Amino acid sequence: MTRIKTSLATTLLAAPLLITAGPALAHKLHKQGEAAAVAESSLTVTPSRDWNQLSARIGKNTETWTLDGEQLNDVTFFGGIEPGRPLVKERSRKREPLPKFTTSTLLPEVPELLERTSRAYKGSGSFQVTSVEPTRFLDSDGVFFSYEFTDEDQLTRKGEARAAIIGGKLYLITFEAPRLSYFGKVVAEFRALADTARLR
Amino acid sequence: MRLPAAVLAVLVASLSGESVRAEQAPLPPPYAGAYQPHGIDEIGAWREDDESERKLAASNLVIRDERLTAYVKKVLCDTVGPDRCNSVRVYIMREPTFNASMSPNGTMRVLSGLFLRVHNEAELGGILGHEFAHFEKRHLLERFKSARRGTDLVAWAAVLASIAPTYDTQRTYQDLELSVYGNLYRYKRDQEREADVLGIGYLNRSHLRPQGFAQVWQNVMAEIQASVRVRGLSKPNFNAIAFTASHPPEAERAAYLGELADAGASAREDGSDRYAQALAPWLPVFLDDQIKLNDFGASEYLIQSLAQSGWTAWLWQARGELYRGRGTPRDLVNAAAFYANAIGLDPTLADAYRGLGLSLIKTGHASEGQNALRKYLQFKPNASDAKLIAMMIPKEATEK
Repeated sequence: MTRIKTSLATTLLAAPLLITAGPALAHKLHKQGEAAAVAESSLTVTPSRDWNQLSARIGKNTETWTLDGEQLNDVTFFGGIEPGRPLVKERSRKREPLPKFTTSTLLPEVPELLERTSRAYKGSGSFQVTSVEPTRFLDSDGVFFSYEFTDEDQLTRKGEARAAIIGGKLYLITFEAPRLSYFGKVVAEFRALADTARLR
Repeated sequence: MRLPAAVLAVLVASLSGESVRAEQAPLPPPYAGAYQPHGIDEIGAWREDDESERKLAASNLVIRDERLTAYVKKVLCDTVGPDRCNSVRVYIMREPTFNASMSPNGTMRVLSGLFLRVHNEAELGGILGHEFAHFEKRHLLERFKSARRGTDLVAWAAVLASIAPTYDTQRTYQDLELSVYGNLYRYKRDQEREADVLGIGYLNRSHLRPQGFAQVWQNVMAEIQASVRVRGLSKPNFNAIAFTASHPPEAERAAYLGELADAGASAREDGSDRYAQALAPWLPVFLDDQIKLNDFGASEYLIQSLAQSGWTAWLWQARGELYRGRGTPRDLVNAAAFYANAIGLDPTLADAYRGLGLSLIKTGHASEGQNALRKYLQFKPNASDAKLIAMMIPKEATEK
């Protein structure tokens, strides 16, 4: 039992950070009030406070922001996941395939997609979706859901996400932080950030 | 010359070949009673282990079900005997992997994935007895010492080789290094074989059918084959031993465990009824964990093997979830049929109506799908996604 499981983004971020030394290695600061296009897409947010963007990506059309480091608070944008693609990059397409977003995926299945992705990636059995509500997101019908999971570091984390399927593509923003102290402390900042999300 | 002699002994022992000579397994030795650690290495290991157990006891991954834990403990006691099993604390962890482990101070961790892969007390007892044998033989301590001896030898050899830096010395040093590392892995595999022999010894002496232990490995091989077949990978070789393999290959274990089992005991009971009863509340949960791992072949194999004792509503429901999760058009048609089967056996199974409704909508049967979703809300008005599903019904109706 040597694997340490943390948030999906953390798990995925750790490896490329050590190995790749591409030009995009530098982290980036997003200043308060400056609109920023995220996740290589037309998804745009306008932060109401300074946020850090981490350089590594956990998959195509994703981007991760944090305040104190991704293990303590992790905002991940999924900007237009195309049908037939997984949410995050697969370790091995053949040996460890991840569930895919498809043209027939329905809104109530989006929380399942995130749950199955997280469980399959970490080999874990602890991910529970705790609530699912309809919402408006990016001026479309969307889904707002919250969840909870415990990784092998024995720390239980809470998560909150909103998603919409627009033009056949999946737009999703997730926030994950330890249930102990950190989630409650930063969730309002996350909501303020996610409320500013627009498609340009 | 204590150091090289010890290593030499390991090397010579390893040259004699890697296998278990199969007759019937010997009966376990008399039990020495509550064991206390001796020597600085063991005392240190136990102290670290006590700390780790303290953390484990508070972990959110532990399944706190007294009845299930007591049942697993009872199967362990039935296998190894009441005198031995008192030194063990059992922790069942929510992790959908086939494994269990035992640490030096008597902490046994059983992962929830194990319960899908054994079908009776004899099979479960085989695995638990094997883990207990590691504890009784104090394998972890021996392995620590063997690793220290081996790496000491390599370190000293590096110093000596640097005194005479010729190509020959360099080559000899590299050979020695490779051989020592290879032997560390081999040593671990031999410990596993020893634990298998002692484990089957416990079963031979118990009231359970010892042939169950070999069956576990037959099942594991069948599951791996089912998994790789669906993924389009080549069939694994169950006899090959990799340089760094931690365990003997599955085929070898199945073969020698079959031979070591007491042939006269094959008519004994295996406790499958008691097992099914004790696990009844948990198997649907563990199967759901398995299905969400996105390993279609293995999950389908496990569902089929659970269904051998009869299809139930939750098994059909699980199969529906599996097929809907993969989600190709043909899967969705199958999924709808499986959910319908589940509803046929249990007309109040709310989640089956949800799966049926979503599958039907996705295959173009919107109005039938909405009817199923209405039933879902009727049976489970407080479902966590009730509002979202409720929104789908009128909306889909106006669209189509």
